[in-house]
Amino acid sequence: MTTPEAPARARSRVLEPPSRRRTDRTPYLLVAPSVLVLLGVLAYPLGKVVVLSFQHWGVGQIFGARGPAFVGTDNYTALLSDPQFRTVLLRTVMLTAAMAGLSMAVGTAVALLMRQVPGWCRVAITCALVLAWSVPTFVSTEIFAWMTEYNSGVVNWALGMQPHNWYADATQGLAVATAVVVWGAVPLIAVTLYAGLAQIPAELLEAARMDGAGAWRLLRSVVLPLLRPLLALLTTLSVIWDFQVFNQIWILRQGAPGEDYYTLGIYSYVKAYAGHDYGLASAAAVLTVLLLLGVMVVHLRQIAKIGDTP
Amino acid sequence: MTPTAPRSAARRARTAALSLLGLAVAAVWAFPVYWMAATAFTPGAGIRAATPRLWPHRPTVAHFSKVAADPLFWRAVGNSAVVTGATVVLAMAVALGSALAVARFRFRGKGLYVAAVMLVQMVPHVALVIPIFLTLSDVGLSDSITGLVVTYLAFVLPFAVWTLRGFVAAVPRELEEAAMVDGCGRAAAFRRVVLPLTLPGLIATSVYAMVLAWNEYLFAYFLLGTPDKHTVPLWLTHFVTTEGTDYGALMAGSTIVALPVVVFFLLVQRHLAGGLTAGAVKG
Repeated sequence: MTTPEAPARARSRVLEPPSRRRTDRTPYLLVAPSVLVLLGVLAYPLGKVVVLSFQHWGVGQIFGARGPAFVGTDNYTALLSDPQFRTVLLRTVMLTAAMAGLSMAVGTAVALLMRQVPGWCRVAITCALVLAWSVPTFVSTEIFAWMTEYNSGVVNWALGMQPHNWYADATQGLAVATAVVVWGAVPLIAVTLYAGLAQIPAELLEAARMDGAGAWRLLRSVVLPLLRPLLALLTTLSVIWDFQVFNQIWILRQGAPGEDYYTLGIYSYVKAYAGHDYGLASAAAVLTVLLLLGVMVVHLRQIAKIGDTP
Repeated sequence: MTPTAPRSAARRARTAALSLLGLAVAAVWAFPVYWMAATAFTPGAGIRAATPRLWPHRPTVAHFSKVAADPLFWRAVGNSAVVTGATVVLAMAVALGSALAVARFRFRGKGLYVAAVMLVQMVPHVALVIPIFLTLSDVGLSDSITGLVVTYLAFVLPFAVWTLRGFVAAVPRELEEAAMVDGCGRAAAFRRVVLPLTLPGLIATSVYAMVLAWNEYLFAYFLLGTPDKHTVPLWLTHFVTTEGTDYGALMAGSTIVALPVVVFFLLVQRHLAGGLTAGAVKG
């Protein structure tokens, strides 16, 4: 009569006390090193950026002649009233939407395709994706630069339009940058979603099929809702990564992008280094973080929830 | 029998069409990598040909010899190996602890910690270049490999903690409990039960850390001044000059750089996605 309860009670006696009785210090000791590193390398410098954004920092301050002076919100006012900044912001948002949107759409499509093809074909796709995944962005950008080279680019040749300068027009140049980003991002998204698809219980799909659901209906009403947390996580990461895109554009333009190529990252970098205006550059950085935060709040809650359910 | 025949024919046609599409996808993703390797083997004169050949005509290893003959290249490989090794080992130790805390314990501020870990990823790296440089100078770690490792550690951690959390959470609690009922302490139960079962996750996560540390360009560019301390991606930029790019040597160097990562990736690719997905779908 007590059999079903006895093991449970025994277990709770063995396990619960250490974590319940008094405040257990183990979890805090376990997270302490990572908190330390994150505080030292990310939070403290980030705090510095916030302080810098309220100061005037120019060549004089760098060479130590005068200390930095607090200037209130001058940097932010200057930034927000600068038409160039608004153009750059709009460009960054559109570019992020294109990059993250395409990455997610293509990644999801590839993951679904991988479920449908025979084993040998799946192996071929996986190998190709893994190959692309492991190439450094620096290298992949150089490869794409080489493939779109004016005279002997293989892409120009394949499209029958050589010679062609992809970078004379920023729209085309940024399209190449988008291609580099999407090409590099799809493997992680596709492989992760494929693994997620594999976790969906077969009975669930079978039951829906028995109820007369077609392939499209199955996808919309069963598969995608189940993948929602994963899709949210991947979208969040993509937006975060693509919003700060720098390397691809910087390297494609060989370290000298024209103003038509400026994203927020490049804008603040140019302001900071070429213009020696660290205050303004920091203000741009703070605004970037705030913008991302605003977009992410919804997803962050979902992610915190996933992280919280052990 | 007869009514199923056309259906199975239709199904075969569908499978064939999808396989073809699959092969096209594989080709698109593999081609740039192939093109890198093909260019690396193409003799100097053939590289700039107006009509590119899809496979190298009279392949040569001249570009590879050029790369290997540079003592600074080997120096850079050594530096990259040290930076990557240190980053991977430290990141795994630190991240495993955190993952364990998040997956197995309830504690005050856990939600905050998880959100904060995700949050730090949002900070644009470009924005952090200057303050990280200043911070490292304050503690005497500017232009040093140690400074670079600490920086990479911070960038690896969020993703590593997240991924490992999934792997730890996937180990059934009952196994740990059984070990504890059998007389293991919590630490021993962890070492004997959770650690071995989390090993695939640790391998997968260390590949992620390895890729980041081996490939990172931006911070290495800003934090390392002395050419002696340069990592491989920095060394590769020598081939990109204002007079033009030596694509043959650049692609040969890139092939050598990408090779170790590709090999590791292929070895562990089965485990790669597990951590991200574990618990995210079932939950």
